[in-house]
Amino acid sequence: MINQRINLRLLVAGLCLGACATPPKPRELEMYEGLRKNAGVADAAKKSPDLVANADRLASKAGEEWQSNDLEESRRDALMASIKLKTALAISEQDQMKARIQLLSNQQADAEEELATVTKDLASAKEALDLRQKLGAAQKSAAADRERLSQEMSSEQQKAQAEKQKLSLQLATEQKLAAAQLALRTADTVEANRYAAAPYSAAADMLKKAEAEIKAGDLNGAQVSAEVARQHAERAAELAKPAYEQAEQTTQNRARDEALQRDATAIPGVAVRIERIGDSQRLVISVQDLFNKKETSLGAGHEPLLDSLAVLINKYPTYPIHVLGRTESRGKPGELLAMSQARAQSVSTALAARGVDPRRMTVSADPAPSGDSKAMAAARSRSNRVEIVFLYH
Amino acid sequence: MTTRWSRLGRITMVTGALAGVLYGRPATAGEEDDLQAQIETQRAGVSDLDRLDEARTTTEEITMLRTWLDEAWSLRSKHEYDQVREVLDRCRSQAELIRQKTSAAKLRAQVQKREATLRDLRAKIDSTRKALQDTQVKKRALEEPTT
Repeated sequence: MINQRINLRLLVAGLCLGACATPPKPRELEMYEGLRKNAGVADAAKKSPDLVANADRLASKAGEEWQSNDLEESRRDALMASIKLKTALAISEQDQMKARIQLLSNQQADAEEELATVTKDLASAKEALDLRQKLGAAQKSAAADRERLSQEMSSEQQKAQAEKQKLSLQLATEQKLAAAQLALRTADTVEANRYAAAPYSAAADMLKKAEAEIKAGDLNGAQVSAEVARQHAERAAELAKPAYEQAEQTTQNRARDEALQRDATAIPGVAVRIERIGDSQRLVISVQDLFNKKETSLGAGHEPLLDSLAVLINKYPTYPIHVLGRTESRGKPGELLAMSQARAQSVSTALAARGVDPRRMTVSADPAPSGDSKAMAAARSRSNRVEIVFLYH
Repeated sequence: MTTRWSRLGRITMVTGALAGVLYGRPATAGEEDDLQAQIETQRAGVSDLDRLDEARTTTEEITMLRTWLDEAWSLRSKHEYDQVREVLDRCRSQAELIRQKTSAAKLRAQVQKREATLRDLRAKIDSTRKALQDTQVKKRALEEPTT
C-alpha cells in the first residue's frame, strides 16, 4: 500500500517535471546546427552576409521557440534557416568554383602552352632524328658505294697493272727481237753467214724461235730466245768482220789493179805486163825509145807520153812506183849501168815535174843481158828502155 | 514522450489557429486568387528547375519543394492563408536554393571537366616529354661515333 502511494507520488512528480521540461530538439534545428559547423560557412558569411545573418536569426528564433515548446514554429524557422544557409553555401561554392575554374583555365592555358612547346620540341627532335637517320643511311650507302668503287677501282687497277705489265713485257720482247734482228742484219753486212756460218745459223734459228714464241704468246721465252739470237748474231759479226774486211780489201785491190791495168794498157806507145813474184804481183809499163843512143836526156816529142804516165801515176796514188832503167848490152857494163841509172833518173825527174810525188818513186838500173846469139840481140834491142813499175800491195 | 509532445504541439497549433481565425485578418477573394496564382506560378517554375538540374543534384530539394507546394495548396483550400504565405515564402527560398545549387553543380561540372582536360593535357605533356626524351636518346645514340 505504502509502495503504491510512493509510486503514485513519483509518477505525479514525473509528470509535473515532464510537463515543465524542454522538449527534444527538432530534427530541422539539429540539421541546421550540423550545417552551421560546415567549414564553408565562414566564406559564405563573407560572400552573403545577409543570408547567413538571416539564417542565424531564424535559427536563434527556432531555438527560442524550441525552448518555449513551440516546436512547429521552431521546426519551420529551423527549416527556413537551413534553406538560407544552404543557399549562402551554394553561392559561396559558386564563387569557389568560379575561382577554381579561373585557376584551372590559367593552368590549362599554361599546360597548353607547355604542350605546344614540348610538341614543337618533339617535332624538332623527330625531324632532327629523321635527318640523322637519313644521314646515317646516306653515309652507309656512301660507304657501300665507296667500298664497291674501291673494289671496282682495285680490280680495274689490277687489270690495268696486268695490262701494263703485259705491254711492258711485249715491248721488251719486241725490243729484244728488234735488237736481235738488227744484230743479224749487222752480221749480214759482214757476210757472217759466209765467214761465221755456225753462230750466224744459230742466231737465225733462235730468231725464228723467238718469233714463233711471240705468236704463241710466250713472251718470256721469246725474250730469252731473242737475247740468245742477238748474242749469236753479234758473235757471228765479230767473227766474220776480219775475214770480211780482208776479202773486201782484196776485192777492192783486185779491182784497182784491174783498173790500173786497163788504164795503163790504154796509154799508146807503151807495153804493159803483169809480173808475179811469189805471192806478190806488179804491173810493169815498159817505154822504149825515150832516149837516143848513148843519151841520158829525154828526147823531144815524148811529152804527151810522159803526161799520160804522170796522170796514171797520180790517179792511183797508193802504189809505190819504181823507175827502172835498162840499156843494151854492148859496151862496158859499168858505163851501161850508169847510163841506165841516169835515164831512170831522167824519167823520174820528168814525172816529178808533172806532179808525181818524188817520195813515191824509187830509181834503179838493171844490168843489160849478155850473149852473142840472135835471141840475145833481140833481147838487147828491147832492153834499151825504161820501165815504170807499179808495185802491188 | 515524443507522442506526448506532438500532441501538445498540435494542441498549441490548434489554439494558435483558432486565435488566428478569431483575431486574424479576414481573407479577401482577391488574396485567395493571388495565393493560388503564386502557387501555380511556383509549380510551373518547379518543372523548369527540374529541367535545369541536369546533374540531378537537387532531386531531394525539388521533391520537398513539390511537397511544400502541395501543402500550400492544401492550406489554401483550407483558407489558411497566413500559413500559405509562410509556406510560399519557404518555397521561394527553396527554389532560390535549388537555383544556386544547380548553378554550383554546373560550375562544379565545369571544374571537373576542366580538371579532366587539365589531367589529359598533363598526361599528354608527360607522354610527349617522354617521347622527346626517347627521341633525344636515339639521336644521341646515332650521333655517337662508331668505333
